[in-house]
Amino acid sequence: MSSGSWTSVHWSFQSLVWEGACFPAALQLRRATGNQRHKTSNAMRFSQSFASTALLFLAAGLAQAASFWGFDEGTVSVAAKKGSEGVKHKLSQRTPLSTPVALGTADSVKVVLTAKDNGKGKRPHQAFVVLKEQDSGLEAPFPLTVKESGKAVVQIAQKDLPVQFLLSEKPLKASVVIASFGSATGLNTPIFDIEVKTDPSAPLPAYEKPLRYGKQPEISHTFKSDPKNPPKVISLFFALAVLATVPALFIGWALLGANLNNLTKAVGAAPLSHPSFFGSIVAMEFVFFMYYTSWNLFQVLPVIGVVSVVTVLSGTRALGEVQSRRLAGEL
Amino acid sequence: MRSLLLFFALLWVTAVSAISTTGDRLLVVLDDVADKATYSKFLGDLESRGFKLSYETPKSESLSLFRLGERAYDHVILFPSRAKGLGPNLTPNVLLQFINANGNILLTLSSASSTPSSVISLLAEIDIQLPADRTGLVVDHFNYDAASAADKHDVLLLPPPSSIRADIKDFFGVGAGANEVLAFPRGVGATLGSGELLTPIVRAPATAYSYNPKEQAEVLDDVFAAGSQLALAAAFQARNSARFALVGSAEMLSDTWFDAEVKTVGGKAAKTYNREFAKRVSGWAFQEIGVLRVNWIEHHLNEVGATNESNPGIYRIKNDVTYTISLSEYSWSTWSAFSVPANDALQLEFSMLSPFHRLPLVLDPAHSNPEAAAYTASFKLPDQHGIFNFKVNYKRPFFTNLEEKNTVSVRHMAHDEWPRSYVISGAWPWIAGIFATVTGWLAFCALWMYSAPTDKKKVIKKTQ
Repeated sequence: MSSGSWTSVHWSFQSLVWEGACFPAALQLRRATGNQRHKTSNAMRFSQSFASTALLFLAAGLAQAASFWGFDEGTVSVAAKKGSEGVKHKLSQRTPLSTPVALGTADSVKVVLTAKDNGKGKRPHQAFVVLKEQDSGLEAPFPLTVKESGKAVVQIAQKDLPVQFLLSEKPLKASVVIASFGSATGLNTPIFDIEVKTDPSAPLPAYEKPLRYGKQPEISHTFKSDPKNPPKVISLFFALAVLATVPALFIGWALLGANLNNLTKAVGAAPLSHPSFFGSIVAMEFVFFMYYTSWNLFQVLPVIGVVSVVTVLSGTRALGEVQSRRLAGEL
Repeated sequence: MRSLLLFFALLWVTAVSAISTTGDRLLVVLDDVADKATYSKFLGDLESRGFKLSYETPKSESLSLFRLGERAYDHVILFPSRAKGLGPNLTPNVLLQFINANGNILLTLSSASSTPSSVISLLAEIDIQLPADRTGLVVDHFNYDAASAADKHDVLLLPPPSSIRADIKDFFGVGAGANEVLAFPRGVGATLGSGELLTPIVRAPATAYSYNPKEQAEVLDDVFAAGSQLALAAAFQARNSARFALVGSAEMLSDTWFDAEVKTVGGKAAKTYNREFAKRVSGWAFQEIGVLRVNWIEHHLNEVGATNESNPGIYRIKNDVTYTISLSEYSWSTWSAFSVPANDALQLEFSMLSPFHRLPLVLDPAHSNPEAAAYTASFKLPDQHGIFNFKVNYKRPFFTNLEEKNTVSVRHMAHDEWPRSYVISGAWPWIAGIFATVTGWLAFCALWMYSAPTDKKKVIKKTQ
């Protein structure tokens, strides 16, 4: 369908052409052009006003020959309860009602009109009020109960509306379709808008969209954040502080008179045991260093075995020598 | 993978001999076999496309859709029947079994007689509703053929079908000329349930409605359905990709309406699009178009220095991985590279219970050729170990269902795959601590063994 603005431009344009006309057939002509408007907007081929002008005159020519469905004495009212009458608005098949009709939760909209074929009251086969939701384009037809005379009535309560209509953010577009078999051209024109008022205290009816196969939203996994380090300056400062304890320890020992003066005596007393015992302690630290850098446990264990045998064998001799010096008061 | 290849090789062998991907045995069920003259062009088109047609009536005793537990036919066309039911050989249950056994059905309706009750039950099974009392006629007082239905308005003229959603490929209206309209003579409209397996092919214009010509000829007190809620042709594709197409008017497939001249309400002469439409609807129903095939699936590590092994069973968390899938689409008689419709996306899910990643697969021209298109995605595996699936779940209206799952394990980091402690700046004080302890220990050992007593010590002793 055409956009609203295009429609209104067209309508004002048409009234410019036809408002001054005072032929007896003027009403019919308007109906004719009204239908033609619907068809052209369906086709959307003639969006230029020049083309539609030409069409308008063509339709006017046709209007003399064929008959047209239309309606008269149309009113719309909103009743709070069945039976009671609300404010009536007069409907026109040329221009839709300018203000939307408000429909509350317990209310119902009542549309009354008289269908006419060429100005004579007659019963059409199709007499619908079609409500349309503007965003989705969903339409719901409500057939009018028509009498032989063409008098037609329909009452649409809010509970008769589909759920989607209650959740609509824009007003519903109501149009009337009057048509029947035979050669008479049907009428399909917007007549008013309905603003659905839902009870603000009650929850809105739930509407779950049916499952449709299609692409789904993309998902990207959110990774856990990487572990964070303190600023390097701080790490470096504390690493240096820890390292500074080593010279501090040495200085402390030196102040207390620590020395290695008995080294020559010890090596002289146990020339094999002392170097190999001390060497095995250093070697053990080296094994740990290799374990940290590259070796695995199965490489480390046999080497530890060898080193510890050396430690035990040489240690008994070396520490025995140390004990003898200590007993002699030399330590 | 090898069995998959063998399967496709076998599929290929069958595809070469038949026009359809699922077989060429087509059963045409008519009330009277002589009626086939009415549809001679339509049936002749099917025959020329390679189908082997058999004709039966619903009453025929020899009619059986199954033989020794296997399908006796690959496809069935059901033309309208004036009978109340379709007899014991075409019960709704048998027809459903036929669909479950990957058989395809094209069902046509007509408003000239009430629809057989077994057809109603079959349609009810797949959530398609027909008007009450099994009788309905679609009329539109605004879009009818002014030449043949100027008074009754029961021959609808519709624009050629277009895709109902922007991301769905248009299978049925692409061949239409500028001045072609679809004639829908004296047909039945149906309403579709909200299931995802159902898709309308042709919807009625906004002003069309369905009524019961027997009871509502004068006064229309209640409308079954109107406007776009009324499906004139609809498609149903089961989960096994068996297809069921409903055409509301059998007459639109008849010779009368193939390339016929019609006149729109505006007085413009137009040609009917029915022949091409009939070809496309039957082609879709009988798996000649919209059939997808997976040629191969490959995934591998996408990391510098990693081994380029295809389809490994195990990955590590946070590995960079590339996944590629090759797809072909069957179109009338050839397999061609499948191109994803505009606005649609082929998506890869990497999931354990629920998807961790859902990423679009993009065309990989390096691995594509005219017969097969490769789609690829590269991504980082999630930081969660477990059993995961690479999953392509491509289900779209009118395309056969694709659901491909490749399971891989994702292990956690091994102890020697973490960064070394000296790389971590926060560990520097602790490493320095170990160094200080080791140095102190060695120095202490030396002092313990080799330090000589000093005078200072004696002074301290004396004071004590």
